[in-house]
Amino acid sequence: MNEVTLVGLMLYLAALGELIAEKAGVLNLGVEGMMAVGGVAAFWSGTEFGNPLIGLLIAGIAGGLLALVHGLVAVVMGADQVVSGLALTILGLGMSAFLGQDYVSLPAVPQFGALPLGPLKDLRIVGPIVFNQSWLAWVAVGLGISTWFVLERTRVGLGLRAVGESAATADAAGQSVVVTRVAAVVAGGVLAGFGGAYLTLNLAKGWTEGVTAGRGWIAVALVIFGAWRPGRTAVGALLFGGLLALEPRLQTFGVEISPILISMLPYVITIGVLTAFSIQARHRPSAAPAAIGRAYRREER
Amino acid sequence: MSSPPAVELTNIWKRFPGVIANAGAELRVQPGTVHAVLGENGAGKTTLMNVLAGVYRPDEGTVLLDGVEHVFGSPADALDAGVAMVHQEFRLIPTFTVAENVALGSAPPVLRRREIEEQVADLAKRFGLQTDPRREVWHLSMGERQRVEILKALWRDATILILDEPTAVLTPAEANELGRIVAAMAADGRSIIFISHKLDEVTRFCDEATVLRGGATVAASLPVSSLDAPTLAELMVGESTLVSQRRVRNNPADPDQPVLSVRHMTVHDIHGIATVDDVSLEIGSGEIVGIAGVAGNGQRPLADAIAGLATPTQGSVRLEGDELGGAGPNVRTDAGLSYVPEDRIGVGLAPRLSVTENAMMRTYRTMGAGPMVDFGDARRHCEQLIDEFNVKTGGLDAPIAGLSGGNLQRLLVGRELATSPKALVAAQPTRGLDVQGVAAIQEVLVAQAEAGLGILLISEDLEELLALSDRILVMREGRIVAEFDAETATRAMVGEAMAGSASKREPA
Amino acid sequence: MIGLTLQRREQPLPGGQVRAVLAGAFIALLAGAVLLLLSGSNPVDVYLRMADAAFGSERAWSNTLSRAVPLGLAGLAVAVAGSMGLWNIGAEGQIIAGAIGGAWVARVLPDADGVILIPAMLIGAVIGGGLLAVIPAVLRAQLGVNEIITTLMLNEVILRVVRYLVNGIWKDPGGSGFPQAPLLPDQSALPGLFGRANIGLLIAAAVLIGFGYFASRSKWGYELRLAGSSEKTAEYAGISLRTKIMTVLTLSGAIAGLAGGIELTGSSSRLVEGVANGWGFAGIIVAALALMRPSGVALVAVFFGAVQVGGLAIQVSGVSASIANILQAMILFGALAAGVFTEYKLVRSSRSPRAAVAA
Repeated sequence: MNEVTLVGLMLYLAALGELIAEKAGVLNLGVEGMMAVGGVAAFWSGTEFGNPLIGLLIAGIAGGLLALVHGLVAVVMGADQVVSGLALTILGLGMSAFLGQDYVSLPAVPQFGALPLGPLKDLRIVGPIVFNQSWLAWVAVGLGISTWFVLERTRVGLGLRAVGESAATADAAGQSVVVTRVAAVVAGGVLAGFGGAYLTLNLAKGWTEGVTAGRGWIAVALVIFGAWRPGRTAVGALLFGGLLALEPRLQTFGVEISPILISMLPYVITIGVLTAFSIQARHRPSAAPAAIGRAYRREER
Repeated sequence: MSSPPAVELTNIWKRFPGVIANAGAELRVQPGTVHAVLGENGAGKTTLMNVLAGVYRPDEGTVLLDGVEHVFGSPADALDAGVAMVHQEFRLIPTFTVAENVALGSAPPVLRRREIEEQVADLAKRFGLQTDPRREVWHLSMGERQRVEILKALWRDATILILDEPTAVLTPAEANELGRIVAAMAADGRSIIFISHKLDEVTRFCDEATVLRGGATVAASLPVSSLDAPTLAELMVGESTLVSQRRVRNNPADPDQPVLSVRHMTVHDIHGIATVDDVSLEIGSGEIVGIAGVAGNGQRPLADAIAGLATPTQGSVRLEGDELGGAGPNVRTDAGLSYVPEDRIGVGLAPRLSVTENAMMRTYRTMGAGPMVDFGDARRHCEQLIDEFNVKTGGLDAPIAGLSGGNLQRLLVGRELATSPKALVAAQPTRGLDVQGVAAIQEVLVAQAEAGLGILLISEDLEELLALSDRILVMREGRIVAEFDAETATRAMVGEAMAGSASKREPA
Repeated sequence: MIGLTLQRREQPLPGGQVRAVLAGAFIALLAGAVLLLLSGSNPVDVYLRMADAAFGSERAWSNTLSRAVPLGLAGLAVAVAGSMGLWNIGAEGQIIAGAIGGAWVARVLPDADGVILIPAMLIGAVIGGGLLAVIPAVLRAQLGVNEIITTLMLNEVILRVVRYLVNGIWKDPGGSGFPQAPLLPDQSALPGLFGRANIGLLIAAAVLIGFGYFASRSKWGYELRLAGSSEKTAEYAGISLRTKIMTVLTLSGAIAGLAGGIELTGSSSRLVEGVANGWGFAGIIVAALALMRPSGVALVAVFFGAVQVGGLAIQVSGVSASIANILQAMILFGALAAGVFTEYKLVRSSRSPRAAVAA
């Protein structure tokens, strides 16, 4: 069952990154590519230096750099966010395959070790599931809480959310739209890179082309399921992580429904949630940041 | 008084391509007073205020605050100097709370919500602004939203507050409330600049008034007690000695044969406010009925509802006695009702399509058999239009983006007339055109009326209404508040009805 | 202060998009060259081999054109929706849905003659792709649900469906455990044309030309352009946007479905999970580069087909085929960046607010 939290937290890292970018009004459909590049970077540097922490940092830098491309094209130059993000996925998948061709199926990499929590992990049932986690899991939890704090309780977060709701209003209040958005996109890339590192070092325990297997799209779905809130997104990550982790196992429990069909639930649920938001949006502002997907140029004011 | 004025704008000039918005405007506001800035649309009020608020940099002229010269590079610079402006479109984020909106741009690094909410509440209390800092703005009425905008300015400790037509979005009760708030701020030593068209508000809320016309100041710092409606109207619209040249028409209008009749029409906007409030009017064959009014008093939703682009909550539209009911815009066109909308590009014309494609918008359904369009037919139709209405284009297949405003409008008006309608709704048909363009469109309208077309002419240009119309209806706050025979009406009379001497009056 | 700002041109540069794509290709080749140098290959050498593999012989051309077929149809699918300002990110999934539809027909009519079976399978594919697109179409038209997300999610859903089919109820009993559907009947294979190219090329060309003609000459196409240019103008002209959104998104899915059908009957001998092969996503880039025009889609599809064939060819000599993906994405980024300059120009500006309000 540990795998539920493992998959869930990996998804959470990537989703948190997407959440930050979207809160600033930038849709980044390049999560899949950024995770792949982060994954290969972590695998390479983790093997090379024998230290997962260095692997994590390099993965974050790689993810952030790739995200910067989206920032330049979609924010600074104002090109379409959908096209730019999808191209980023294709670019990231291509780059990771290109850079990772010598690492395919290499075994033995350092993992993120468990954080000893003493007697807590010996608790019955709860212990192994909740407290027997690698330290990166706790980093993910910490990142989730700090993201919430920064967004809701700081000047930086207030400005970032303002940019995502109405770039012109934020601009008039003295908030730099371009700087805020590019920073948010890059931060999102760093977190996606972390997610990729978690994937190759602890979950897949190796690198193969296509190891991300659509998990970036789940990150996009999670942000919607979580209604652009870090807390709800965490719940969604565990739920979706659970559904996906169950995929190869359900048969052993003798459940009649195919596990493959179970694994499409996260996407169906997301469509349902989005539809509910759209119906709600007739009576109140949408849960989505209002300026999402819209480029901002001051001269058009 | 020995202390220098809080605001002193001297000889402000501001030119835009093709327009001189300010031509040596002056403004002097004493500290602790409420100062009205009055003028017609296009008199340069908003431009002058944008100069003071740092949105525009003047081409010439100086800005003095408390006797010290300032050059603003941005609204943020002006804000730092204590000048805040509440624009007509509020700059608020609907999903943010009142406190968040107020604090945006000048919040402490870490937000202690309760603390900020209390501070906002205290500030609001001090000036008598009723608001709940924890409520999200989308819940609030327009009046409450305006109070949040004022709070934003007070939060940043603005000493000079510009309110751009603040009562336009308010109910009469809310307007009275605003008057009290403004007085409280003035008592606190701040200066408030109050842009308005409405005389009664000016006399009730303000201490002094400055009147602009044609970008220049025609009366500076008059005590409001010296103002009455005729004086003000004359100041705003200019010498009443200038008699407008009426266009004489050969075929007199026949009001007894109504082609278009609108009965008890009411339109609500998305906020549930009645933008058109029980309007009834009739247009006879060959008659031109003008609608005068300050922008935003319901002219646009009225035109849209008649043309079938907006759904009225109540009321009927009849064309030659036939009820149009819920008929769509194209059905109305086919029935003989044409529409020249206020937004030429983006409603009347599609920006990225060619001249031909725009010319065929009303007739493509009958061009060519089955599902295909006969583009030969479409081009011939387009050539005819271009010829008849003297449109200069870069070619039939050129995108219309390259056409000048006058040619765009000739194309649009021509297309709407090509279907031989019985009635035409023309909204601001000559706005922004050069002299030749204006003359060409006006000639077309007169000629069509002579041929029996009934025209509803919505315009902010009084001159035009007086010259073309048979009758002039004045719209204010969604209602028809006055009717004039254009033959005998003067600019002053119509202007006075537009400005209104009471905030709400039953139809005259 | 002196700085550089972007200022809107009064008129877009004529032929700007062609220049932008060429500039993008140039930037992509340069960036790819850097990567190749870093990995120890001679870029000129690699590029020449790629070009040779894509255009050097009749067989090379047949490879390039066969790949252009799904790219072109997916690109057209995206472009149809895009010309109305809608994003169909679901072409990838609709290709799978099309292949499932085609495979289902083949299961129902295993003994039918090829003349009947092939068209029936292609119709099944069109319906399959269209059906998958009906969901986002209805949600968008009736409830305003963002079609970008719904089409994206449905990609993953339909991927699970095909996985379920080839692992479960449609699994080939004689496939020695491989997750694949049984071989299709022999007579379902599309007749060949030359080299690797088959009739699918003619079908795709006919669809592209036919649709291009219909879109530019019909009342329906005119209304589509009108709605794409300005929704308010379309309403003013009495066009129902709801109906338009429904038909356009469904049609978009149907065209992508056709690509799946052609892949199934032309290139693969059975339904497999990877039938879409990234064509749907590549199609989005194709459509974006072609500015949503059918004629442009055809050209860019052939170009991208060549890049992919070239990428596969150099794989043999140890260079990763993924260079093809990198190049495709880089071309788009380069063109997007260059495209900005067809509508904007860099001007030196003092930091006065006048520049900000000049528009």
